[in-house]
Formats: sequence, structure tokens, C-alpha cells
Amino acid sequence: MLAITDVSKSFNRKLALDAVSLHVQKGEIYGLLGPNGAGKTTLIRIINQIIEADKGTLRFDGKLMSNEHLRLIGYLPEERGLYKSMGVLEQLVFLAQLRGMSKENAVKSANFWLEKFDIKDWSKKRIEELSKGMAQKVQFIAAIVHEPELLILDEPLSGFDPLNVELILNELKSLKSQGKTIILSTHNMRSVEEICDRAALIHQSKKLAEDSVWNLRATQKSGEFSIRFSGNMIAFANALWTDFELIDKKELGDNRFLAVVKMRGSNQINDLLNALMGQIKIEAVEERIPTMQEVFMNLISGKEVENA
Amino acid sequence: MRNSWLIAIRELKERFSNGTFLWMMILGPLFFLVLLFFLFKSGDEGKKSLKVLIADPAGLMENKIITSEGKTISYYFIGDYLEIEEFRDGKSYQNFDALIEVNEKVLMNKKSFVFYRENPSADVKMQLKFQLERRVEEVMIENFTNLSVDQFRQIKQPLNVDFRNVYDPKNEASDLEGYVGLVFGFLIVLFVLLFGMTILRSTTKEKSNRIVEVILASVKPYQLMLGKITGIGLAALIQIFVWTFFIAIGLIVFRQYIFPDMFDPSNWEGIQVSAEVQQQLMETNSAERYNQFVDLIYERINFGFMFIHFLFFFIAAYYFYGAFFSTIGSIAGTESDGQQFVLPIVIILGLSVYFGFLAVVVPDATIVKYASLIPFTAPVVMMVKLAQGLPIGSYYLVILSLLILIVSTLILLWLAGKIYKNGILQFGHRAKLKNIFQGLKSK
Repeated sequence: MLAITDVSKSFNRKLALDAVSLHVQKGEIYGLLGPNGAGKTTLIRIINQIIEADKGTLRFDGKLMSNEHLRLIGYLPEERGLYKSMGVLEQLVFLAQLRGMSKENAVKSANFWLEKFDIKDWSKKRIEELSKGMAQKVQFIAAIVHEPELLILDEPLSGFDPLNVELILNELKSLKSQGKTIILSTHNMRSVEEICDRAALIHQSKKLAEDSVWNLRATQKSGEFSIRFSGNMIAFANALWTDFELIDKKELGDNRFLAVVKMRGSNQINDLLNALMGQIKIEAVEERIPTMQEVFMNLISGKEVENA
Repeated sequence: MRNSWLIAIRELKERFSNGTFLWMMILGPLFFLVLLFFLFKSGDEGKKSLKVLIADPAGLMENKIITSEGKTISYYFIGDYLEIEEFRDGKSYQNFDALIEVNEKVLMNKKSFVFYRENPSADVKMQLKFQLERRVEEVMIENFTNLSVDQFRQIKQPLNVDFRNVYDPKNEASDLEGYVGLVFGFLIVLFVLLFGMTILRSTTKEKSNRIVEVILASVKPYQLMLGKITGIGLAALIQIFVWTFFIAIGLIVFRQYIFPDMFDPSNWEGIQVSAEVQQQLMETNSAERYNQFVDLIYERINFGFMFIHFLFFFIAAYYFYGAFFSTIGSIAGTESDGQQFVLPIVIILGLSVYFGFLAVVVPDATIVKYASLIPFTAPVVMMVKLAQGLPIGSYYLVILSLLILIVSTLILLWLAGKIYKNGILQFGHRAKLKNIFQGLKSK
């Protein structure tokens, strides 16, 4: 769908993007992650052709990106705003028309979305008369009203209350099921785990990693297992002996415990289970997979250690 | 182009949803008409009827003078000298509004004074002058000729010596027309400044409420800038058309209902003059005798010609200066931040009005010729020159001036587009001159 190859951009000799390459596939939700100032917004602006890259190419469905592609893209910037004195419907129609939609279709589509987001009654109101939450819904609709193939959302969940976060996440899933492609730039790692298929991490203007969310998490796993059991904690610790390392433990009450154990040497989960059998009563065993938050932190701190 | 047009229409709608804009649409022409009313009225003010005492110690006038039918002026005679102080302060003279001195020398030096207590209206002054002149004329015919009054008046034709510029043989140019051109030029400056500030405000507002990023994802900065200038310009043009319409209606109402007598020669019938002179009076411009402003506005200015040129120069000047205003808006963090950069433009606009004034008072000065071609000053100076009337065969200068202005505007818009592109996405900073240079250097 979108192939970004070796894109670089600098502002007044300060490098904002350094040969970044990304491949976003059709119909997926792609997470664009990175700390503030990493270069995500610059990359998003380049995709939206708001600014030009100094080097590199962007291809949309295999073709070099041009103005014509802009009408296939929907964009919700992080620093978002609307014309305060303009009516809700009027504004949505105007923005859809700018993206190449006919007025008739724009009115139809805007009304559809206003109804879907339950703000149809407010369509004649001016933006300045709306609450913050409602204005944010209008901003989200503005990004999708022209039925784009690629939707780029920069921190779409910031400022939303939990109900509306759920609403937006569900809408993104629904758009994905319709075959739309979504690029999601966010600091909300829970949402990345929940809805993103793949993600890339950008740090200090470079791409650090790009893979499926599962793979990113899996490559960061450290062979730790959490075990819930009932029995004697001393017997449990003795059974581990030198082949396993007890990382953490928590008493759940009634002689029940939750322990985190790390393998040593070439030991596997079966070896651990064999060692524990007969000593305690195992209730549950689960491999610990790092959260995206941990992946994010690990990759960035790893990079910083490397730089140091 | 479609997107620029959409942006222009949105800007236009926003102006029309603005109360100040709508009030200006009504109050602007109203203010103008009130001003004109007082200018016209100035020709009609003063005392309407007069009781005049003629001091005629030599008895030249034989206590006779022909008055008008309506007896606006009533004359009384005194066959002696009367000091002004005595007339002014003497109890018996307080009923008289004016004193006319007709001494024995009047037939030789043809000089007479009218001392009034309260300034009479132009109409009354004119009547008094005619009546006195004609009575003195009769006395002279009787004393110095053997002709009858009618015979004398038939052969009396004054030689009219009129000085005219060889480049303006029809005497079309004059100071007054020049001032009308200056008013047109001033209107260009006024509208450019008013709506230029609107461009600045609108640009900084889009930046501060961050909608600009969404817009720029759909249109190029250059298109946004052009659409914005065009939309606000359309609002200005509509404002101008509405003003013109209301002012035209106002002028018609003035002519038909408020000052109907200023164009009606029958108003002069009260003056008892011979048929020939009456005819002569009717042929001369009655409005001119009434009030020079009336004459200027209704008779001497070709408004159609001026208005068409005004539109061309206004549109070109608006885009020319509009490029500056949108550039400032794009590099400024806030509206007040941008205002520091507006001052030089206001000074330049002020200078252009000054050059327009120079064109009125010294139309042939070399500096005025240059100013009529320099894009910064050309719109005002050219409006003055057009109002004064261009010498035959020099209309090409208007075309040349307009052409220079249009080409400069295009270059300026291109440069402004570069700065705009660079500045429009920079938020939360103070505008600096280096932003302009960075923009110019950018790709």
C-alpha cells in the first residue's frame, strides 16, 4: 500500500529523519511509535505532502506519490483544530470537498458519520458551541468523511474520555474490516497491542525496528514464566535449585503463590515442570511476553546504551 | 485551482457571517453620503432673505432697483454716506441685514462693498450681485451712451480669454478632478489596508487554531494563500459594489429630492434680466453656480470611466499588497506579533497617498511620472492622473503602469508563496526577519 524508502529530511541542518524506510500493507493497522521529537510527525507530514523529503521515495500502491493520491488519504494531526465560527456540517463538507469529493457526496457522507457518532443534532451548530469531546469527534469525522483508503492518525486518542477512546478504537477496527489501511502514531501502547497488526519504532530520526506487534514482543521475551501454585514456598524454592532463577514472588493467601521464574542454561519449561511436580500443586503456568510499553522502553534504552 | 476557489468561497462566507463587515457595508456609504450632504449643503447655507440698505450719497441709482418677484431681497435707500460703525451699532439700522456702499466713484472704479451681519446664502448673494450690477449698468448706459438699455445689452459681449495647457486643450484637467482621483486612490489604500489586515488576521487565526495542518494536507500552501487572498478580495469587491450602489442611489436622491433646485435654471428666473441673459444663464452650468462640489460630482467626473479603472487598479494593488500581508501572517506566531511588520506597509501606503497628493498639486513633476509607474504608488497616482484627464495619446502609460503592477504582483506572490510555505507550519514563535530569508532560500 505505502512504501517509504530511505526518506531523509533536515530542517536548518538539523536531521529530522535519517534514511527511514517503512512498508505499510493494505488493510492493516500500522503503529508508528517513538518518543517525542523522534521524527514521527515529520514523516507523517511528508506522507501527507505537507512538506517534501530531502531524499528518498514514497510509493502508493506501487506508484510514486503525487497530488492525486492526497484524496485517498485521511489525516488527523496531533495539533488539530477546526474553524471555530463555522457550522459542523458546513465544515465537514468543506474539508471533504478539499479532498476531491463532490458537494452532494460530501453532504451525504458527513450526515452518515454525524449520525453514526450520535451528533447529528449538532450539525448546524458552530464548533465554538460544542464541548471538547464533541469537537474531537468532529475532528475524527473530518479525517474519514471523504472515505480515504489510507488513514493517518497522529495521537487520535489524546484528550478523549475512556468511552470515546473505546468508540474510536472500535471504529478503527471497523474501518480495518472494510479493507482500509490505518497508520496510527500514538504513545498509547495498550491501543497498539489491542489493534495494531504491525508497528515501527522511530528514535532519534532513525527506524529502530519494524515488525508485527507479536514478533516485536516475542523477540524481546527473556524466558520468564509466571507460575501460580499452592503449597510450600520453601519447597518451591528448593525445587528450583541452580537450574532456575526465582525473579519475583507474591503471596496470594491460603498458601497460594504467584512466582516468576527464569530459565538458566538450556533448560526449558518442561524441565521446570518436572522439577516442580510432586513438590507443589501447579495451578497455572504462563510465559511472560513483554508489553509494548516494555518493548518500547527496552529498544530505546538499548539504543541509548549503544550510543553511549 | 478548484481548492483555491473552495477556500476563497469559505473566506467570503466567513466575512459575511461577520457583523462588523455587514455594518461596514451599510455605514460606509452612509458616512460618505452624510459627508457629501454637508459639502452640498455648504453651498446652500446662510441667510435666505435680506433687508438691504443702499447708501447712495450721489443719488446715482435714483432710489430704483429691480427686485425679484418673490422679493427675497428688499432694498432701502439713504442719500448720504453711512459709516460702517454707525450701521453696525446704530439702533435705527439694526433691522437691516446688509449695507451696500454706492459712492460716486462706482461708475469709474466699479467697486462696491456689501457689509452683511450674517453671511447670506450663495443663492441670495447671486441675486443681490445681479440686481446691483444691472442697476449700475443702467445708470452707466444713461450717463455715458446714447443707446437704450436693450441695445446696449445686445452689443455687450465680453471677450472671454481662457488660458489652457497645450497638452490639455479642452481643459479637462483641474485640481478638483485631481482631488476626486485622490479620493479614488485613497479608497484603494483604505480597502487594501482594511482587507489586508483581514488576510493577516485570518492567516494567523488558522495557524493558532491549528486547522492549517489539515488544510495543507489537501492543498498546497500557495493555493491556500491565493484562495485566502482571493476570498477576502471578493468580499472587498462586494463591499465596494454595495458602497457604489448606495452612494449612486444617494446621489440620485440628493439630486431629485433633497437638493432639487441645484440643477433647475428656473430657480434663477427671479432675477429680472433680459431674455438673452436669461438664456445665457440657462446655458451655463447651473450646478456650477450653485456649488463647485455639486458641479464636480454630477457634471465633471466620468464615473463610469473612473470606476472601471478603479476596479483594475484596486484588484492589482490588493493582490500586490495582499502578498505582503499573507507573508507576514504566515511567519507571525500571533496577530499582534505580525502587527510590528505591518507598520512599514502602512508607511508605504501612506506615502502612496502623499504621491497622489503631489500628482494633484504638481501634476507634471518628474517624481509624479515615476510614481505613476512604481507598483507601490502607481494605483493612487494613476487614479489622480486618470481623473485629471490624460493628454491625448498617453493612455499607454495607464496600460504600462497596470502591466508593471501585475507583473510585480505575480513575482511577489511567487516569493510570498515560498515564505508562506516555510512559515505557515511554524507554531508558537515570534516572527523574525530571518524567517523571511529562510523562506526565500527554501526550495
